[in-house]
Formats: sequence, C-alpha cells, structure tokens
Amino acid sequence: MPDGTNFTDVMADRQGCYHRKSDLSAFEHTCKGELTSIHRLTNLENLFRIRLLDPEDRKRFTFQPGQFVILELPGIGEAPFSISSPSSGHGDLELCIRRVGTLTNFLFRLERGTHVGIRGPFGTGFPMEQMHGENILLIAGGLGLAPLRSPIAYVQENRNLFRNVDIIYGAKHPSQLLFTYQYDMWRADDVNLHIIVEKDDPSWKGPVGMITKVLQEIFAHRDADYFQKTYAIVCGPSVMFKFVCAMLNERNIPMQKMFVSLERRMHCGMAKCCRCNIGSTYICLKGPVFDYWSVMNLKEAI
Amino acid sequence: MLFRVLRKEAVADLFGLLAESNRMVAPVQSGLDCLGSPLYAFKEVTDYYEISLTYTTTKIPAKKFFMPFRETMATFIVAGKDWTKKIDLNIDRPFVVFGMHACDINALNKLDKVLLGNFYPMPYYAAKRKNMFIVGIDCVPQPYCFCRSMGADTALHGFDIFLTDLGDHYFVEILSDAAFNFLRQLSVSEPAESDHALYVKTVSAKNNKFSVRVDTTDLTKILDMEFQSEVWEKWGKQCLSCGTCANVCPTCYCYGVDESVGLDLSRATKTKLLYSCNLIDFAEIAGGHNFRPESHSRLKYRYYHKHRGFVEAYEEALCVGCGRCGEACLAGITVPEVIASVRDQES
Amino acid sequence: MDSSVGRLKTYLGVPISKPKVAFFELTSCEGCQLQILNNEATLLEFLSLIQIVNFREAMSERSDDYEIAFVEGSVTRSDEVDRLLKIRRNAKTLIALGSCACFGGVNQLKNRLDPYWVSKEVYGNSSVETNNKAKPLEAFVQIDLMIYGCPVRKEEVEKIVTNLVIGKEIHHLKYPVCMECKANENICLFDVGEPCLGPITRAGCDSWCPNSRAGCWGCRGPADAANVDEMKKIMAEKGFDENILIDRLECFGGFAPYIEELRKGLPDEA
Repeated sequence: MPDGTNFTDVMADRQGCYHRKSDLSAFEHTCKGELTSIHRLTNLENLFRIRLLDPEDRKRFTFQPGQFVILELPGIGEAPFSISSPSSGHGDLELCIRRVGTLTNFLFRLERGTHVGIRGPFGTGFPMEQMHGENILLIAGGLGLAPLRSPIAYVQENRNLFRNVDIIYGAKHPSQLLFTYQYDMWRADDVNLHIIVEKDDPSWKGPVGMITKVLQEIFAHRDADYFQKTYAIVCGPSVMFKFVCAMLNERNIPMQKMFVSLERRMHCGMAKCCRCNIGSTYICLKGPVFDYWSVMNLKEAI
Repeated sequence: MLFRVLRKEAVADLFGLLAESNRMVAPVQSGLDCLGSPLYAFKEVTDYYEISLTYTTTKIPAKKFFMPFRETMATFIVAGKDWTKKIDLNIDRPFVVFGMHACDINALNKLDKVLLGNFYPMPYYAAKRKNMFIVGIDCVPQPYCFCRSMGADTALHGFDIFLTDLGDHYFVEILSDAAFNFLRQLSVSEPAESDHALYVKTVSAKNNKFSVRVDTTDLTKILDMEFQSEVWEKWGKQCLSCGTCANVCPTCYCYGVDESVGLDLSRATKTKLLYSCNLIDFAEIAGGHNFRPESHSRLKYRYYHKHRGFVEAYEEALCVGCGRCGEACLAGITVPEVIASVRDQES
Repeated sequence: MDSSVGRLKTYLGVPISKPKVAFFELTSCEGCQLQILNNEATLLEFLSLIQIVNFREAMSERSDDYEIAFVEGSVTRSDEVDRLLKIRRNAKTLIALGSCACFGGVNQLKNRLDPYWVSKEVYGNSSVETNNKAKPLEAFVQIDLMIYGCPVRKEEVEKIVTNLVIGKEIHHLKYPVCMECKANENICLFDVGEPCLGPITRAGCDSWCPNSRAGCWGCRGPADAANVDEMKKIMAEKGFDENILIDRLECFGGFAPYIEELRKGLPDEA
C-alpha cells in the first residue's frame, strides 16, 4: 500500500492541553451548568443562576464584566447572553434573560436542577481597570441593565478605586424595572442611583420621561473638570445609546472613554458563523463591548 | 517545491495509485446545458475514465467534501434533567481531490486563514482539511473568470501536486512529501530546460486569455465612501435573496445552526447549515428585529465583507474570481459589474 | 393505539403530555395524510408522541375529543364549512395540512373559470352541490399553523409535531427552495432550459421536485422577501412566455396576491 496519506486525527493528543482560544477541542466544548435558582424579576425577565458542574470548568471559567456566554438547550437552540453577575465569581454565573424567542420561551419552563450548556465566555469586556481613579457613569435603558449589572458589581466591590459613581437607568414602565431589590444596596455603597420611567403608574414617585432628561439634570450640576475625568458605560437599544452618547460627546467626554455593548445574531461566538459580522468586524470577537469611536466606524451599528 | 515532468498517460497511474487506499473526488461531466455545453461537478469517483481533467468550472465547488452544506455538529442523549453531548467531526479517512483549479485551491487557503487561524480554529473544517490530498490542475480562463484580478490565478501553496499541461506531458509541482512518495512510484523525470521554458510560456499565454477584469485599486476606500450610494439599491432590487451566490462560492463559510429534538424525546441533534448573508433572516434576532431587512443592505454587506472587511483583516479579498456566483445568479448580478458600478460612482 | 394514554414523558425535565389528535379531510386527494402514514421507519415513534382519536384513513374509531386537529383539503362545499366550523370549536390548535388547506391548492384553479362550465366538464349532467370557488381554511376559520406542501413532507411534519408536543416554537424557513436545491447540488433547471419557481418559493421541501429534474411549481407559496418582479424578468429573459409563469404561480394558490397584478399585463383571455 502506498504511504503518504495517513489519517490525521486532529483531536488526538488534545486531552489535558486545553487552550480555550487556540485549541481545536475547545470549539464545541460545552460546560455543563445546573440551574441552581430561577428568580422572577418581571413578567418577562428572569434571573437564572447557573453553577458550572465540572471542577475543571469552574476553575477555568473567568470573565470580565461585559463578556457573554452562549447558553444551549439540547434540541431547542442556543443564544448569546451577557453575564449579569460579578466577575469575581468563578463558575457561578447569573444571566438576566427576557422571554422572547424559541430558546428563552423553553428556558422559562425549566425547573431548578436542570442542566444547561454554557460555552464561553466570549467577546470583549468593559476595561474596568482603565477606569480606576475616575468618575463613572453607568447608563442603562430597559434590558440594558442586564449587561450593566456586572460592571456595577465591580464598582461596588472596588468602590475605593472610583470617584463619583452614577447609575442612570430608564425603563418604559415601573413594572419593567429590573433588580429593584438591589437599589438600596447600590445607594448604600455611595452610588447615585437615578431612575426614570417613560410612563408612570399611580405608585410611581420618581421622574417621568426619557433617560436624556435625567442626564441633563445631572450634568447641570457637574463642571468641566468632572467630564475630563469621566468614563461612561452605556447599555441599551441602539436608539438610546445614540442619543446618550451624543449628549456625552457634547460634554467633551472622549469617544474612547464611552463604552457600549452591541447586540447581534450569533451562533458560534468565535467569529466563524459570520452572523454577527459587520463588514469585517465580528461583534462576538471584537465586541460586544466597543468604545464609541469604534462604533461610529461600524456604519450599520448606529 | 520540487519540479518533475509526467507523461500524460501516467496520470491514470497516479490516479490509480491514490485511489488504492483513498476516497477520490474529481471533476466529472454531470450533464449538458440547453445549448449542449457540458456541465461539471465534483463527485466521488472510482474510475479514472469518469473524470474530466479538461473541465471548465464546476457549477458548485468541492465544498461539500470539506465544508458540507449540512453537517451534524453534535448529538445529545437527553435523560430527565440531564444530557450528554457527543461531538463528531464527520470524517474517518483521508480523501483526494484530483483536479482542482488554482482558484479553488486559493479559496481553501483563504478559508484556512479564517477557520484554521489562531483564534478558535474550527475542528469540523480542520479534520477534513488535514485529511485532504490535493492534485491541482491548470485551466483555461473562461469568459467569466477574473481570478487574475483577485490574485488567485496561480496557486503557490495549499496543494500536494499541481499539474500543468505542456502538450504531451504535465509539468508537476510537488509540495508535500506524501506527494513525492506517490510520484516516486511512477515514471517521473526531472524537467529539462525546455520544459521550464514551455511552462513559463504556457502560464503567460494563459494570462492573455482573461476577458474580464476587476479594478481593485483603493477598493476598500471606495466601498467605504460609497456606503450610502444609490447603486446598491439598484442591485438590491434585482437580488432574489435566494442564497445561490453563497452556495456556489468557494470562499463563503457562514452558517446557521438548527437544533432539533428526536421523535423519542431522548435524542437531540445540532446541525450546521451553510447559510447566506443575502437571506432575509441572516441578521434577524430573537423577538424579530432584523438588522438588514432590505435586500440591498444584505447584498451590500456581502461586498463589504468580501472586498473591504476581509482585506482589512488579511490583506486580501475573500473572493478568488472564479465567477461562479455571477454565472449561477439568475438575476445576472456579477462581481465585476457590481464593483464597476460602485467605482463608477466615484468618477 | 391508546395503550399508553396519559403516560407522562418529560423533556429536560419539562412534563410533556400526549395530545389527542384528529385528522380530517375536506376536498383533497388525502395525499398529505398518506404521507404521514407512509413512513414505516418512524411511524411507531411518531404515534408514541400523540394519541390519535380520529383518522379516517388509518382507523375506524371516531371521537370529537381532541386538542389538535389537522385538516387537509380546501373548502368547496357548504357542508364542509359546517364541518370546519365544528372542528374549529373542538380543537385548541387547528393546523392546515398541505397546500389545499393553506392556499386552496390545485382545487382553486377552478376559481377563475366559469363555474357552470367546470361542473359540466367534470361531472357532466349529474347534479353536484359545489361552491363556485375553492377556498383555503383561512377564509372561514382562524388557523393556528400551516404546514405547506403538495404533498407535505413527512420529515417536516414529524419535526413540527415534535415541537408542538414539547412546546417549542415553530418557525417556517424563510428562504427559497434554491438554498436546498444548491445544497443538494442539483443542476439548475434554468441551465437545462426548464422553468422553475425555486427562487421565490418557500423552502422546506428539500427541493423535492428539482431533485428529480422537475421545475418547482410553488406549492409551498412565496418565501419571505420573494422577488416576484425579478422572477418575471428572468422568465422573460430565459424565453418563457408570461403565461408559463402565471400558470405556475396560480397552480397552488400560494401566490394569489401576486396574480392579479401580473394578469393586468396580459391580453384578455377568451
């Protein structure tokens, strides 16, 4: 038999030399996670607490605020979700999920103790360390509080490293406010919390209007020096961050100090399926967190 | 690279030698079109006389052998609240592609950059690519070929053997030791000076046969400047959003994933399906929001990815100029015409 | 068939009950129902998912106690309207099975002809009670789900039923048949001089007809974003008369919304 074309097993000798970003066996590697608790936040959103089961997976699983995972339910589907929990927690993560499609509708029917698949973490995070020593504006609209909750937790845990901290959160209606049980805790950590709703109900005591209204009020009391030393993280629908970033821009916050998180369709999370591609930029790889300058250069993003 | 010459008749022996222990994939004539011209396709073959080494362009590249249109990525056994996932790369032995043109080899080289690069290499592709033995063959430029404009008219690497027709014998470029071992068993000889001269002459004669050209000068910038151009709407109006261009493209790799539950409710399958950026729901997300609802915006992003974005990332376009998409497009949308129309906006 | 009634399965821990299912046919060839039965390899597994209480083609029992009703065929007689309304009242989920139920199907071809002539041509002098027009179910009742095709494709029906049973959302493919045809590496029918509606027809059939070298007739109706204007141009360029296009578009009724516009451009028929 002529020699030369022997079968190459690309997965051979891959055990025990796992490098997540360069190893072939990492591609479809799914960490098995158990739903440890399912916390109802609103009519549409739940907070799912997931514990990775394999000790190796737990040890390896570290992430930055802003990164995402892909959650898979066998036979149902998979989709990307930002991690909503503190980045200090290895192997235990929380995902704030809205019931909106095939996967999430099924997910909402699962009970505690069910196993789900987790791949990741993927993408870029908010450069929290770069923000040390500065003021920070954490701005969220609607479900945008989900990706923002991880940087909020970072700021809480490292409160000494930041100057003024403001959380500005806008929702359509008081009943849609997420994580209401945490607001007092955030305030207690010397964070200014400003909440605004577009449409109020009789129980609502706070301001009513668009998120830009709160920003205007806050900014009226801040001087030029404040804006020179300020970072902003803006999470929410693109119409919202477009207006908000324009306002921040007017106040001379440099574009490189404003961060947004983009949402796109994704299947792989690893720049292979191309579904999140904008021109050449893979949102899953170069994002989902971008500074505003990069977003401006993405054409379709805003 | 080593050079040899091989008598024409000995190509059948080379085929036989490779076929002894490998799956063989080769271009065959698959039918005639309504004008009586032959149509070609890559098929698995066992007999050398089935194949057509003088083929023009296959309608569809050899894609399915290294990047199947549908591929099972994983299967699950589901039991109660638990499950196990099994991954299969869907290949168990090497295969030979016997008679691949330079454009298709260059397409593989481009795919390698994306799918075998440093970031998250893709095992489904890698397993097939690493078990692929390629015999390249030279070709005659067709009226739709613009590979030369894309710098893909010659293959510098990515094959094991490359054959160039010099009349009564082939000029053989040998790139791998596996190829060398095979050829050692045949009557190959060192090329003479005259063979070298003939090879150079043959290649330059080919260069004069191209009838379409694509001007890629400053194309990335022009595409950027013409992002809002009305010309995209014109093409978008024509586009059928049928995905044919992507399916016949040797460099298109994007995909969708379909998960399905078995009838017994204890099995599940995760299937990878090659997709196309022109399909209506390419950029649609859960809840129904579509980032590219209009066909012109999808078509535009196809060009932005291939001719701008990929160039920024890898210094080359994600297009080898094989012309298949233009030939297959019922609406007659061709790459040279689209790019020329965008360039026209600048003048 | 109902030995395991009530046995609870689960999927990922979610309890799955076996729905009671009924099959009905109005004016049709019953070919879609036959497709479902004609699947020996998976029939038993399929039957274990559901509890069939009414299926004239397969069993003699009859029951009006069902949750899911599959209705094949178009509505062409007044008694069918009554039957359909009753089925709608009984069923939680009403599924239009096949092109006749979804669009009127081949039966609706009679709609543009003189009803007297049609009746005479088919039945001669026998008197037959029939409506002037064959209509899809949707013309009379609300439909919860359509399963396209003439006939339906059994693999697709199995997938849809599985999803119904476990409660997974059902989404139809939005792209046209060309996607599947290319994946099957068929020779494009236009290359061999045949007309084909593949570029504008909803996929899901796995390019059934083109696989056998027969052009698509659009039985599954238009794909999302079907570019019928361009299709018209292409057919003309390839030398096909506009009537060939209209005949195909009209055959199953799925393209009805486009027909009127296309007919405007044609000389009057005799």
